[in-house]
Amino acid sequence: MEIEREIVVPEEPDEVWESLTDPQRLEEWFASEVELDARPGGEGLFRWGDGDERRAVVRELEESERLVLDWDDGGSVAIELEPVVDGTRVHVVESAPEFAPAFELRALAWTALAAA
Amino acid sequence: MRDGAHGGIDRVFAALGDAGRRSLVEAVATRGTATATELAAELPVTRQAVAKQLSALADAGLLRATRSGRETRYQVTPAPLEDAVEWMVSVGSAWDQRLAALRRSLAGSQGKRRSIRQPPDGSSS
Repeated sequence: MEIEREIVVPEEPDEVWESLTDPQRLEEWFASEVELDARPGGEGLFRWGDGDERRAVVRELEESERLVLDWDDGGSVAIELEPVVDGTRVHVVESAPEFAPAFELRALAWTALAAA
Repeated sequence: MRDGAHGGIDRVFAALGDAGRRSLVEAVATRGTATATELAAELPVTRQAVAKQLSALADAGLLRATRSGRETRYQVTPAPLEDAVEWMVSVGSAWDQRLAALRRSLAGSQGKRRSIRQPPDGSSS
């Protein structure tokens, strides 16, 4: 089970790539404070205005194409860029190993309650 | 993101992160209610191990424990799972907001940097 989102922006992939990997650019849209060593194995630290903080490690990086971060809580996010006629398609998949079991157990739990 | 407002979610996800504990919740849900002894009879683990896991799942709020004679009887509580599902929905809406901000950020930076997308006659300025 995954959370999936997609948008098309009018800019070219290499410009969007900068927004994904340059900490200053990331602070314009991803989190309020960003540290990121944008290379495979590099570490990242993301802070949000509400006090949330997440650490990540770069699992995969293919310039202007694909960035995969592993969160320290076991989840991951993959952002892929694809050139399209009117700009760049930005495709995001965020997954956590617990997403699927939570959904399945929820269904099971309600079924069990209904039967009780 | 799992901290702060979503305090209990971490514990729910931690509890669900282990395949053994997941199958215990499934077994309890399937039976309606269950004790450690009943579950240990079906599973290749000791009663003590099952009892320990059940107690951890109850601490995470996934199971509700009631005393039944000398044993503790467990039943599934869906509320924390609802919270977990709600958290997943919030992850999705966080991405909606971020991607909208990314679009604005990219649009805002166009004046500062040379954009390949500018009309060839340069009339955009």
